[in-house]
Amino acid sequence: MYSMRVVCDTWRMSQNPARQRLRITFGKFAAMKYTSNLDVAKIWERLLRRADMPLLYSQGFNTRPRLQLATALPLGITSECELLDVSLRQRIRLDSVPQQLRDVSPDGLEIYRVEEVPVASAALQTRVRSAHYVVTFEESVPDLDQRVACLLAKPRILRTIQRKRRTVEKDLRPLINEIGTADLNVLQMHIAVGDRGNLRPGDVLEEMDLIDSWHRVHRHQLVLADTEEVKCN
Amino acid sequence: MRPERIERILDRILLKAERPGRYVGGEYNSIVKDWDATDLRVALAFPDLYDLGMSNLGIMILYEQLNRQPDILAERVFSPWVDMEALMRAEGLPLYSLETKHAVRDFDLLGISLPYEQLYTNALNLLDLAGMPVRSKDRDSTYPLVVAGGHACFNPEPVADFIDAFIIGEGEEIIVEVARCVQALRGRSREELLRAVAGIQGMYVPRFYDVTYHPDGMVAEIIPNRPDIPERVLKRIVPVLPPPFTRFLVPNIDTVHNRAPVEIMRGCTRGCRFCHAGMVTRPVRERPVPEVLEAIGKITASTGFEEISLLSLSSSDYGQVHELVSAIHDEFGDAGLSMSLPSLRIETASAELLSKLGDTRRSGFTFAPEAATERMRNLINKYVPTEQVLQTARDVYAGGWRTIKFYFMIGHPEETIDDVWGIIDLCKAVLREGRKELGNKANVNVGVSTFIPKPHTPFQWVPQDSREQVLEKQQLLKRELRGPGLHLRWNDIESSEFEGFLSRGDRRLGQVVQRAWELGCTFDAWQDRHYHDRWLQAFGEAGLDPDFYNHRTRGDHEIFPWEHIDVAVHRKFLLQDYQMSLKGETRIDCRDKCFACGILPKFTKTRSQTAASAWECPPVRPIAERKRSANVTLMP
Repeated sequence: MYSMRVVCDTWRMSQNPARQRLRITFGKFAAMKYTSNLDVAKIWERLLRRADMPLLYSQGFNTRPRLQLATALPLGITSECELLDVSLRQRIRLDSVPQQLRDVSPDGLEIYRVEEVPVASAALQTRVRSAHYVVTFEESVPDLDQRVACLLAKPRILRTIQRKRRTVEKDLRPLINEIGTADLNVLQMHIAVGDRGNLRPGDVLEEMDLIDSWHRVHRHQLVLADTEEVKCN
Repeated sequence: MRPERIERILDRILLKAERPGRYVGGEYNSIVKDWDATDLRVALAFPDLYDLGMSNLGIMILYEQLNRQPDILAERVFSPWVDMEALMRAEGLPLYSLETKHAVRDFDLLGISLPYEQLYTNALNLLDLAGMPVRSKDRDSTYPLVVAGGHACFNPEPVADFIDAFIIGEGEEIIVEVARCVQALRGRSREELLRAVAGIQGMYVPRFYDVTYHPDGMVAEIIPNRPDIPERVLKRIVPVLPPPFTRFLVPNIDTVHNRAPVEIMRGCTRGCRFCHAGMVTRPVRERPVPEVLEAIGKITASTGFEEISLLSLSSSDYGQVHELVSAIHDEFGDAGLSMSLPSLRIETASAELLSKLGDTRRSGFTFAPEAATERMRNLINKYVPTEQVLQTARDVYAGGWRTIKFYFMIGHPEETIDDVWGIIDLCKAVLREGRKELGNKANVNVGVSTFIPKPHTPFQWVPQDSREQVLEKQQLLKRELRGPGLHLRWNDIESSEFEGFLSRGDRRLGQVVQRAWELGCTFDAWQDRHYHDRWLQAFGEAGLDPDFYNHRTRGDHEIFPWEHIDVAVHRKFLLQDYQMSLKGETRIDCRDKCFACGILPKFTKTRSQTAASAWECPPVRPIAERKRSANVTLMP
């Protein structure tokens, strides 16, 4: 008698022609920080083709390789914790893959890790919950601590958002997990990211009236929901 | 300004610009050499947006040719969009190269690509943003030498005041010779350097030619004002096309043609009388199929591009087009590579070829009959029977593709309103064919541009259609070509007038171009940024009349402003071809019969040193042999 899990996997295998799924942890620096999420997908698509990976292509009118980026990184932000899942049509050995990819990667795209994840695991995008950022200001902000305290003291941070002919009021406060300072020119924030609530560092800086200052933002950690939620159907 | 400082300013301001990825470089395959360790530095500029310039094959070829030299580096420069320009000017940030962020001013040589006339004001703006005087005579040897090349340079006169030297013809070899010349004469005066540059075959240095005019405004004489300067500058060609360029830069952001172009053939043997490219790119040279296939293999390996585009002036005339398309399909189809084959001729685009090209992404095909009545197609020497047009349309729709796009021109010489009705009738007839196959899903997209007579073509003598004529024809088209399944696009009348006077302009237009730029004209090719009133003001201030350039019939013996630029096609041949057109006489594909356009005698030596198969010109018998048989004559 098969366990439910095995039945599930067998069913998925027959539906899903992917033979292997790779999770790549990468970083965006230099020119890469000016690329959008769509650009990054295209950059990866071409990089993987140059590396001669056995990509699995989607069926249909506009065939594209099956790539999943965990979450979009707003333009201008550097990162060392981006995640990409790649579906392959045949299994490959992973030992030399990181180097193979680095050999054909453009400037500013750093490749840290390539690991195998179950083919049937949940889509990356659905697992992202929050992210940690560091904001460095070119000139120190003397009242940075007060600004943080002032922001955190607010019970609600209402923002009106234009959505197709209707305006929605949204409270940003619950999306802020933590904000702190390390120095008068360094701000650290842990804020919500993903489809259950998404906040950009720019939104926070805007609330703190610091958006026009000369600053750099770096994302250094992505927080995923800890369980691999295997969905059967 | 040092690169470190430029990069610091960029870091601060770039996020304020739209699409900052245009301004940072860092593309895969871009070549970054050690600035201090490289002797000669060349900036290659495309005076339009990054998004467009990155698709330009010419710039890529020159980039490769120069960077291949160990002691030369070449870096790219594009025009910043207006928002970035404002930021740069506010910050005092000079125009810089994408590779190492050096100011353009610090290079030894600046090469500007001028493929079309609408870029002239951008070229001036580029010089100004680089912190250089726009006029050639105001730049001494402390400034980089400014050279320009590209198809617009076959009549360089409207920008002769701004460019130090022009490359006439094909650039892949000559660019290195010019760079070597700059290297050898470093430290010498600009005059000395230019004298040496003018000695390179194919280089035109405008300041060494004096132009005089008759009281009526026509050119009286164009004569060299220094010894050893040739009376006419013969264009440069490469006898055999070198292997195609393959290490394309892979842009990090989306661009207009985000794919790799492979040139399969240069030149065209059809001899369409309106076609500038067909006259100036002779002789026809094809790349062999194995060479193209090898290049595609290298391109996919080195770039990862998912689409390649096979370039030529008339792709379906490529000798082995079927073999090539099938081979690409067989070899690369599985790797998810799609191909596009633009410039299909109606009569050579067989159903078989269409089906080979028809991949899943394609929604239709584009053809350019250019004229809709057989009389007009004879006149422009693009003869295709109407039935053939309809047959090809049937093949396309029967293959399941829904959309046919046609390009037509209005304003051909001798065109009447009946010929414009011909466009309407033909498009509707094609749509009817489509409806038979596909019902209401069939589409005909019609692009109607206005004919602009170009230098070095059989139609260089003819007046461009007047404003009134064009508007009347366009009105008729707009009234008739509407309704479900029909989509019409046309050219703005002011853009056509503008392209017209720059195409056949003389050196006096330099002051107009400069004044228009001073009045704020840049990005003139962008319809919403073309300020025609400013151009007219510039004409007024210069005491010149745009109609003199656009709407005047030129006499058979008129000396043209581009008379000293020799594209190796005889003026006599062009005039004869023009006269034939008025009688409705056509000339067949010159691969089948040589009409003595002038290429062979002009390049006799080159030809004799090149393999017979390299050029598509039919074999010509020696003159002695021709004299013996009196009934054979090569002159038509």
